[in-house]
Amino acid sequence: MLRAGAGVLRLSEAAFAWLLIVPAVLGIVLVVIFPLAYSLWLSFTDVNLLRMGGPAIEAFGVRLPLYRWVGFRNYLQVFEDPIYWSSLWRTLYFVGAFVIEATLVGMGMALVLNERFHGRPLMRSLLLVPWSLSRIVVGLLWIGILDFEFGALNGLLHQAGLIDGYIAFFKDGWSALNVLVSVYMWNQAPFATLLFLAGMQSISEDLYTAAEVDGAGYWQRFFYITLPALRPIMFLVLVLCTVNGFLMLDLIFILTMGGPGYDTTTVSWLGFQTSFRFFKLGPGTAILYTLTALCLFLTVIYHRLILARFEPEG
Amino acid sequence: MAPRARRGGAYWARSGRSRLVLYGLVALVSLWLVGPFVWLFVTSISYQKNLMARPLAFIPPEVTWDNYRMVMGLMRFHAEGQASKILPSMWNTCVVAGVVTALNLVVGTTAGYAYARFRFPLKTFSLFALLFTRMLPTIVLIPAFFLMLRTLGLQNTLTGLVITYCSFTLPFTVWIMKAYFETIPADLDKSALVDGCNRFQAYYKIVLPVSGPGLVAGGAFTFMLCWNEFVVAQVLNTKPGTTTLPPVIAGMNGQVNVDYSVIAASGFLGALPAVLLVLIFQKYMVQGLTAGSVKG
Repeated sequence: MLRAGAGVLRLSEAAFAWLLIVPAVLGIVLVVIFPLAYSLWLSFTDVNLLRMGGPAIEAFGVRLPLYRWVGFRNYLQVFEDPIYWSSLWRTLYFVGAFVIEATLVGMGMALVLNERFHGRPLMRSLLLVPWSLSRIVVGLLWIGILDFEFGALNGLLHQAGLIDGYIAFFKDGWSALNVLVSVYMWNQAPFATLLFLAGMQSISEDLYTAAEVDGAGYWQRFFYITLPALRPIMFLVLVLCTVNGFLMLDLIFILTMGGPGYDTTTVSWLGFQTSFRFFKLGPGTAILYTLTALCLFLTVIYHRLILARFEPEG
Repeated sequence: MAPRARRGGAYWARSGRSRLVLYGLVALVSLWLVGPFVWLFVTSISYQKNLMARPLAFIPPEVTWDNYRMVMGLMRFHAEGQASKILPSMWNTCVVAGVVTALNLVVGTTAGYAYARFRFPLKTFSLFALLFTRMLPTIVLIPAFFLMLRTLGLQNTLTGLVITYCSFTLPFTVWIMKAYFETIPADLDKSALVDGCNRFQAYYKIVLPVSGPGLVAGGAFTFMLCWNEFVVAQVLNTKPGTTTLPPVIAGMNGQVNVDYSVIAASGFLGALPAVLLVLIFQKYMVQGLTAGSVKG
């Protein structure tokens, strides 16, 4: 720590540090903590966008409505709704499938990109292409591939003689849900690859040389050296993918709108629709808050993992 | 084998045949990564009738720039009302993303520096809070922002979007900059103090000038997040002409009478800035992102 205070500005270390973080803390309190608390409050009230009167926070000439406290009514209403529960189970399937696909494909790509070949720097740039696209564009370009009338994949399969007619990937609910999983995986797996590659670069090659001298094959080296060394990163990837899976929303908007029926409605989509399509902000925020609680739980795990990494091994 | 200590790999492909397989795999991975994006471009320079034809031609028989002319308002067509919003909304996206990035770099960088260098009360707690806000579903804040911005009269304004976007970019910028400053040796600041700088001078005269790569990574990432954001803009800015590009593209896609080839042109146009940004600053972004996530 910096204690050599020979400067003009003789502040204590802690005071100076606080001076530096105050703008950020203030910003985060205003744009994250306060809205978060206000949303929590809204989930316990009967929000009515047309009613302007009633209790309110008044400060600096603005009036933020507080609406009427209804206790747990919104939550009870949500928990009594079978659609919420079916969405929750569907979300769990979606997240599970997404995490597995993204981790496996991410790891597979990392193993290929970690080899030595010509054009490796170029490949590492290409890796970021799916990840840098807006999810709206991601959805759009997969429509171009999977569409019933003009999809490239349908055209390809048809020309190869594998199918007689074009397949409607989004017509059947189960197929639509799995397409969503794979498209989201296409978008997100490169990030997992990035992390895995960074981890692989930090493993000493001596280990591999020694293992090879002892006669270990490629997969043995992978399972006994690479995988154990990547364990902390693996956990991070799993947690981040889980959070991202629970929150995914924009792909559903562009690809399926939660349908057919409710077949691709996840909890975040249900909360989004309830809040902003039907403007039932009370139950809507209640649904979204159940997601937030889940994220808090996952953050605690993530935090533990990072702390474990900071501490010396053993 | 080279005697020098190298890092990083259980190399598998050494012999001629396995190298062939390796290049096959590399080709497969590149096809998987950029094939869909290239196909988006191909459809955007095709006529819809050629996309509908069977068997499908993978090399378009006719190439046209009409779709781009339509979305840029240079050519009249039946859905030009929707298409005419594309260029203005692109400008809106630029403004919002630019302002948010600038704000984030100023505010987030100083905070990141403090977290990387100093010990202070509530540090562990505020770091946890930061991490939580980073993992928070932004969507849960939108009902609150909806009412707050309505109260402030900032609905359907770019200012409203800037404020809302800071809620998911600021925690991330602080985090990524903290990780970056941790890679700069603290001896640098120490010697600056010994040489007579005060703490603030040590930060902005000595440390900041060597932090270019970190700033580029943080800035490019923030810009990309804002450029691509959809849900917030879709919900908060519903008045025509006030929203950003992703909702406009999604809106075009929602209209039944617009050809896919035209939507593809708007999608490609909208994606290009973010893709170029990432490809140009790829090296720094990879460093910054892996430092931010791996080292915590």
